[in-house]
Amino acid sequence: MMSLLSVRHLTTEFYSGGRWLEAVSDVSFDLRPGEILGLVGESGCGKSTIAYSVMRLLARNARISAGEVWLEDVNLTEASEDALQDLRGRRLSMIFQDPMTALDSLFTVGHQVVETLQEHLELEPPAARERALALLRQVGIPAAEERFGAYPYQFSGGMSQRIALAIAISCHPQVLIADEPTTALDVTIQAQILHLIRRLLVEEQGAGVLLITHDLGVVAQVCDRVAVMYAGKIVEFGTVDSIFGEPLHPYTQALLNSLPSQGIQRGALENIRGRVPSLDDRPAGCRFHPRCPHAAAICREEAPPLLQRANGQEVACVLYD
Amino acid sequence: MSSTTNGAQPLLRAVGLSKHFPLESGLLARLRGAGARTIKAVEAVSLDVYAGQTLAIVGESGSGKSTLGRLLLRLMQPTTGQVLYQGENIFSMKRARLRAFRRQAQIILQDPYGSLNPRMRVGRIIREPLDIYRESTPAERDKRVDELLERVGLNSAQARAYPSELSGGQRQRVGIAAALALSPQIIIADEPTSSLDVSVQAQTLNLLAELQQDFNLTYIFITHDLGVVQHFSDRVAVMYLGKIVEEAPTDALFAAPQHPYTQVLFSAIPLPDPSRRVNWDLPKGEPPSPLDPPSGCHFHPRCPKVMTECSAIVPELEETAPGQRVACLLYGDGEN
Repeated sequence: MMSLLSVRHLTTEFYSGGRWLEAVSDVSFDLRPGEILGLVGESGCGKSTIAYSVMRLLARNARISAGEVWLEDVNLTEASEDALQDLRGRRLSMIFQDPMTALDSLFTVGHQVVETLQEHLELEPPAARERALALLRQVGIPAAEERFGAYPYQFSGGMSQRIALAIAISCHPQVLIADEPTTALDVTIQAQILHLIRRLLVEEQGAGVLLITHDLGVVAQVCDRVAVMYAGKIVEFGTVDSIFGEPLHPYTQALLNSLPSQGIQRGALENIRGRVPSLDDRPAGCRFHPRCPHAAAICREEAPPLLQRANGQEVACVLYD
Repeated sequence: MSSTTNGAQPLLRAVGLSKHFPLESGLLARLRGAGARTIKAVEAVSLDVYAGQTLAIVGESGSGKSTLGRLLLRLMQPTTGQVLYQGENIFSMKRARLRAFRRQAQIILQDPYGSLNPRMRVGRIIREPLDIYRESTPAERDKRVDELLERVGLNSAQARAYPSELSGGQRQRVGIAAALALSPQIIIADEPTSSLDVSVQAQTLNLLAELQQDFNLTYIFITHDLGVVQHFSDRVAVMYLGKIVEEAPTDALFAAPQHPYTQVLFSAIPLPDPSRRVNWDLPKGEPPSPLDPPSGCHFHPRCPKVMTECSAIVPELEETAPGQRVACLLYGDGEN
């Protein structure tokens, strides 16, 4: 199937304590047009590092040490800073947990939308203003005309995220990377923003969205396919229906069973023993083996590859060899 | 644990509790006197909390749920109303009685990063309440700290650690141990697991359930996480803009939420089950500013079932089923 964004054997490292430590290890996946692909996992699993690697927005103490990222025909891992500047905001956009990451508190929101449009689309000022207004209306800013000249601090968190989304989609990007875009928002506002992303980008424009989240509920509701990450690796990959319907990897199973719900007696949520290993202390073999109820001798020695099963679901676990 | 109240007396009871924050508190505002603008963070809330149960207070940002929690512990003074602990108003308690009440009612905060003193070792954080209340001898206090650490799943060596050396889940355990130190009856937990990862949240909730069993603790959970509410609470109070709009046993509320706001809220929760889809169309608009709440029912501008009289009449909480109260004209007697 056609792929918009192709991540191939991506390995990203952080420099800490005098050495390079792998945050993301040999991760590969394809993002297709018209889909929302979820990257889900707990803190420190590397999901945000993948986003920043794709955008080439890694901090100074981080580097891509292996692998490639392709946006259709462009190799992002080798693109120059100039080329990246041109791609970001036009073909490849990003929104963050804190919308203020994308907004500048010194300029009016209208100015910021117009600026992005003029930079990438060479619109005349009146046309840019018209289009900016239309975008603000599309993302649900009430009285957009009046609020055009307002500053970011005059908006609530939910409204600011709408404005960040308006900027991100202003030039019809092919790919949107959304890093925990609704984590700081109330549940009714979260539903509105997620719905906007699906409707405006995926359904109307056929863009691909890489949604990074720790919230399995959000994944189940808005994603088409999902990659479950643990300690820097993808351990399971498949459609939302297959992952939630028949989770295969012991980590995915444990994660789903640890979610509080009505069906489980109080105090009887699944405990995943131990804790997520830190970057400098990752176990050999399968990285989940010290916490896995099914761990066998081979799990301590060999890292299982991500293999495809008959139904298309991919899992990295010797139980399914 | 049963969600019925069996005619028992409530352990803690809020009666007509309100908290208004003045917007301007300077000299000018005082000279101007009455008419100064206020935020009605909590407005005429009445609520019963039963021993050994978990009451969940749910609502979105600005609903007043955290302010209500603080009032229930007398961490702030109300504008009007009372909180009765075993029948006695906590706001008129004198020093000795208040001290006794404070032993019995403790709080656990959301942010295990911000709520522990970073310069204190874990052992001292847990020991502090024992020192303040001069519990037994210093040697016995040390022993009690060890017991508490073990009880919450930490080891005695970790008493020497600083909070920054612990993980988020471990820090939350330290907060729990400190809250348990004086063997309280009531623990208010303000978003106790919202900053934790799923697997750590599960461990923390399991620990809180165990402690409730062992010590017959009464919990008040302040949270926006409805999965936690459904799993952990016996009763739920739903707040919107400072008021309780619905209160019911957990099972009844989730089976058939009655207030349109509760229905909207529930339909917006992303369930971890792809076969049960969120209704994306329901939630309209944003919560209005508590500075300038809508007239009548505060929810009427966003309500999918709004009627003409909703902007004029303030609905009262009325019982619609045993133990279930709803503040909505759709359910009032004779209104429809």
